[in-house]
Amino acid sequence: MPKLERSQWYDLCRDMNWSFKYVTEEEVFPEALSHSHGIQAAAWWDWDEPYKITYREYVHNQAEKEAGVYSVRSALARSKFFENLDPGWKAAMIAHYAVFAMPEYLATFGEARMGRFGRAAAWRNMALFGTLDEIRHGQIQLSFPHALLHKEPRLDWAHKAFHTNQWGAIVLRHLFDDMLTANDAVSIAIQLTFVIETGFTNLQFLGLAADALETGDVEFSTLISSIQTDEARHAQQGEPTLRILVEHGKKAEAQRLIDVMFWRGWRAFALLTGPAMDYYTPLAHRRHSFKEFMLEWIIKQFNDQFRDLGLERPWYWELFLQELDWLHHALHLGLWFKRRTLWWNPDAGVSVAEREWLEGKYPGWDKRFGTYWDTIAENVRRGHIDHTHQETLLVPCNMCQIPVCSPTVGVPPRQLTHKDRVYTFCSEPCRWIFKQNPARYAGQLSIVDRFLAGHIQPPDMKGVLAYMGLSPAEQGTDATNYSWAFEEPQAAAAVKLPQTAAALKVAS
Amino acid sequence: MAAVPLQAVFRRDFVTLLVLVDDEDTMEVVAQKVAHHVIQRRLPPQDAPMRVQYNNRILAPEQTVSQAGILPMSFVEVFYDA
Repeated sequence: MPKLERSQWYDLCRDMNWSFKYVTEEEVFPEALSHSHGIQAAAWWDWDEPYKITYREYVHNQAEKEAGVYSVRSALARSKFFENLDPGWKAAMIAHYAVFAMPEYLATFGEARMGRFGRAAAWRNMALFGTLDEIRHGQIQLSFPHALLHKEPRLDWAHKAFHTNQWGAIVLRHLFDDMLTANDAVSIAIQLTFVIETGFTNLQFLGLAADALETGDVEFSTLISSIQTDEARHAQQGEPTLRILVEHGKKAEAQRLIDVMFWRGWRAFALLTGPAMDYYTPLAHRRHSFKEFMLEWIIKQFNDQFRDLGLERPWYWELFLQELDWLHHALHLGLWFKRRTLWWNPDAGVSVAEREWLEGKYPGWDKRFGTYWDTIAENVRRGHIDHTHQETLLVPCNMCQIPVCSPTVGVPPRQLTHKDRVYTFCSEPCRWIFKQNPARYAGQLSIVDRFLAGHIQPPDMKGVLAYMGLSPAEQGTDATNYSWAFEEPQAAAAVKLPQTAAALKVAS
Repeated sequence: MAAVPLQAVFRRDFVTLLVLVDDEDTMEVVAQKVAHHVIQRRLPPQDAPMRVQYNNRILAPEQTVSQAGILPMSFVEVFYDA
């Protein structure tokens, strides 16, 4: 029997749409899970993905990818590649696995929801592949760190993190519950696949794979490349969904969904990717700053897509651009100060050469952030390590759950009272997101709320660390054992650090 | 005597801190409790008195938390009056 070309049967087999007679549309696609935005059923049937794949092709491709990735892992298993990695890069990698492995698994729920409640057969078909992708991404990003456990026990946090009350895990659970597990099919298509995957992680993974290769981490590079190719395919669910909303007069709703998740994605990106790019990646291997990456990759692509789809840039765009200069530097400082609450060793990344690089990439960095590090370095040299830890909690935003950092002086945090409870926000967009749907977010308790409610006992930092699931052996410390604080100051730095010579004498 | 948790910032620092004070603490003590987490940790000390700002008002050093009407989780800013 002659075999048909794919183009001769693909649409026919894919588009299994029909009008229901024995049940109502609402019974098949409950609005809470599907959210049609009032667009008629048949209108969704125009949904069409740009890049097509059959199940046979999918299985073939995935099998090849798996074989490639695991063969690299096998080849490297007996090598000393992990031991030889830069301490900063190790920090980025250990953080990465815990940040991504479980959310990939949660993304399985999001994809499966679209695979069942997406309003077009073509969409459900693509989401099925997405579901399988995300199962793979969850499993492979647990398997790889698991194979390295005998070299770094804290890689166990790849699985453990999301099952603890570590503050970063609270940040991520809040984000991914909003985006995935507690979301409807249309919103998932826009917020997960268009905003986060197309906009952020697809490009991030491209850069991350290149950085890993540059740093000598071939295993991680191969893994990330393998995942990225899946992301690029299933991320395409967002655009056709957006087109249908815009074509049927629902541009405002689409825009709101984008504006909410772009801001949420940006906050998480600044917290995790910003420090990894500008502080953890070895200086010799940095191809661009975090800001350059955002401007040249992320923002350029978003601008092109907004224009192509007839959408606007989010209303807070100018604020977002301003934050590119300072937010991740502040968050890095906070992460380092609270390193006992992390499962990785953050690299301070402020050697003389690194500070010069930071000042070059972010003019004014030295005056704004370098002065903090001057005081910190002084304490390290004097042996006052206790002064380089924060003895109290940082107040988190009641929306994004990330500590409230502010570039301004004398400006109180943005607050809002809802049902007699005062909520604090790090920024106007976070307050705006909360106001969109207070009932959705009001019940969440931040780490400070839990502390004040008596959930954390004893009510001190020891109790806090135990509550977060961090034993002394798991708590983070400086990645390079403070070597940066003992560098011989160069001529330019000596002017800025007048007490350095005296301090070194005291320390010695 | 009752503990009052505050959201506190020391001017020129970068982050909001949770600081526990007592309702009978004077503003001088409140300033010291906030400064404990910041001065000589991220910011150098200055030879100047510290002040507390609350609701756009600079409070008198001898005024207590309860006298100033500062409620739990209120925002205060501490700064050197140099």
